[in-house]
Amino acid sequence: MLRAENLTKRYRQGEKEVVALAGFTYAFPLGATAVVGPSGSGKTTLLNLLAGFDLPTEGGVFLEETPLHRLPEDARAEVRLKRMGFVFQQWNLIPTLTAWENVAFPLLLAGIPPKARRERALELLERVGLEARASHLPSRLSGGEQQRVALARALALDPPILFADEPTGNLDADSREQVASLLFEAGRERTLILVTHDLELAARAERILHLKGGRLAREEVLRPTR
Amino acid sequence: MEIFHLVLRNLLARPVRSLLTLLGVLIATSSMVLFLSFGEGLRRSLFQELSRVGPAIQVVPEGTEGLGFGTYPEITPAQLQALEEAGQALGVRALVPTLFLSRGGFDPQTSFFFQGLPRGVGPDLLYPGVRAKEGRLVPTAEGAVVGGKVAKRSQLALESPLRLSPQVTLRVEGILEESGGLADNLIFVPLEALQRVLGTQNFSAVLVALSPGQKAEEVARNLEKAVPGLKAQTTGDVMRFAERALRISDLVRFGISLVALIVGGLLVANTVMMSVYERTREFGVMRALGARRGFIFRLVVLEALFLALLGGTLGLALGGMVSYAINLYTFAQVGLALSAVTPRLALFSLLVALSLGLFAGLLPAYNASRIPVVEALGRV
Repeated sequence: MLRAENLTKRYRQGEKEVVALAGFTYAFPLGATAVVGPSGSGKTTLLNLLAGFDLPTEGGVFLEETPLHRLPEDARAEVRLKRMGFVFQQWNLIPTLTAWENVAFPLLLAGIPPKARRERALELLERVGLEARASHLPSRLSGGEQQRVALARALALDPPILFADEPTGNLDADSREQVASLLFEAGRERTLILVTHDLELAARAERILHLKGGRLAREEVLRPTR
Repeated sequence: MEIFHLVLRNLLARPVRSLLTLLGVLIATSSMVLFLSFGEGLRRSLFQELSRVGPAIQVVPEGTEGLGFGTYPEITPAQLQALEEAGQALGVRALVPTLFLSRGGFDPQTSFFFQGLPRGVGPDLLYPGVRAKEGRLVPTAEGAVVGGKVAKRSQLALESPLRLSPQVTLRVEGILEESGGLADNLIFVPLEALQRVLGTQNFSAVLVALSPGQKAEEVARNLEKAVPGLKAQTTGDVMRFAERALRISDLVRFGISLVALIVGGLLVANTVMMSVYERTREFGVMRALGARRGFIFRLVVLEALFLALLGGTLGLALGGMVSYAINLYTFAQVGLALSAVTPRLALFSLLVALSLGLFAGLLPAYNASRIPVVEALGRV
């Protein structure tokens, strides 16, 4: 279980101190948790801290009992590789690698042998309906297809935690529905943390956390926690 | 898809830039190979030649140590006599006084190198293995024996006149077979004739042939003791001197080629830095997905090393080809291969190219591996 305790992040902007997140405490259970809020409410900061991209000014992030915020940079990278998957708004595929090579990238980092890497990547691409596009470079794929490749990549090492940051923000209606379905299906047996502006998408989660001014304003439980 | 595959993909994604960088390294390495190949070629030719020279000791005026070839005649007849007496006492086989004269300019086509020999001494005593192709091997008081290449180049035949000065004209009495050595480019004439031309009774050098079982070093030191002002150098001394001189010239030539190498290194550094700058987000994604800093560092360094190694290998090949072409020319002109790409030069060039890549890649690689993930992803 991923747990945030009194998570606080303050930035300095010239003379002024900006509090991006203040005293956020929450334990993310299995299933989908959507994080919503207006721009500047601290959603991105929260995700950065939970994923170990950044360190909190106060408080901490615990994965089981491991204090993620106390681990050195490379150890946090190791945790991300083995325990977390990421889907970003900008897809963030590696432009020089084909679709299957992008999916296989975390497997390469994990030291999986080449043959097993390729098999696993193709299996995941099949799951997101892109087996026919396996050898295409990202530049030859549509936005929706790139996001599906990114989702397949996030699932490559079957991580227990999945982060999605505005995963449908740049997609048309059809692609949006396709990606959302795949995402929630993948999140069924995982802890899915979905950061979004899209309340319709958030409503498909089991819980919604409303952030306001860097604070957890409200928790809305839509479905019972498994 | 291994890490090397990622490196290759990235270089191929920016083909023009990669190609230009490659060309920069190629030119830098090939110019270095070529510059240094002259030292290697000279070293090889010289040692081949020296190892064929018969006399074990050359006596030259002090301060003109080296090859003795072309030095101003400073050894007086009195010193020669003293040497002969000392030589007799030491039991040496023969003492051959000799004199050198060069005529003409830098162009080998119009240059002539004369070596004066005492009466009755043929070039075979100094250059073992040389044989007369036509005429005599040992010149008379009015004749000259011409090396094979000189004869061909200057179209000299038996009885051709050789005008050494307005007062001294000799006739070609013998032409040597080409042996691939220094003798091919020399004209052997009587010692007295050269002394008349130079207006001196002196000699450039005295060559000492040892009796069987004699130790060159010991005899040389005893001759030096017996005749002050002269330096008796063994073939080993000459080789050591030549090696020292060549080392210095190697350093000078390496210094010159360093300019090209630095330009090549800057090109690699520029390419890799640009590439790192353009791929900041990509590195951020890799780190976000779980790549360690060392992975990003290796990725960037390998890119620089790959460019440098490929450029270096191609540069070595190009340098080798140009060196071969130069040798074809110099062999036709003077019978010597002046340039040589030896295995140690090849290895040195590749190591220099690799070091170039390593140095050019270290800083960009370090920077790339240190970019904070949130900044790289634009998530601040």
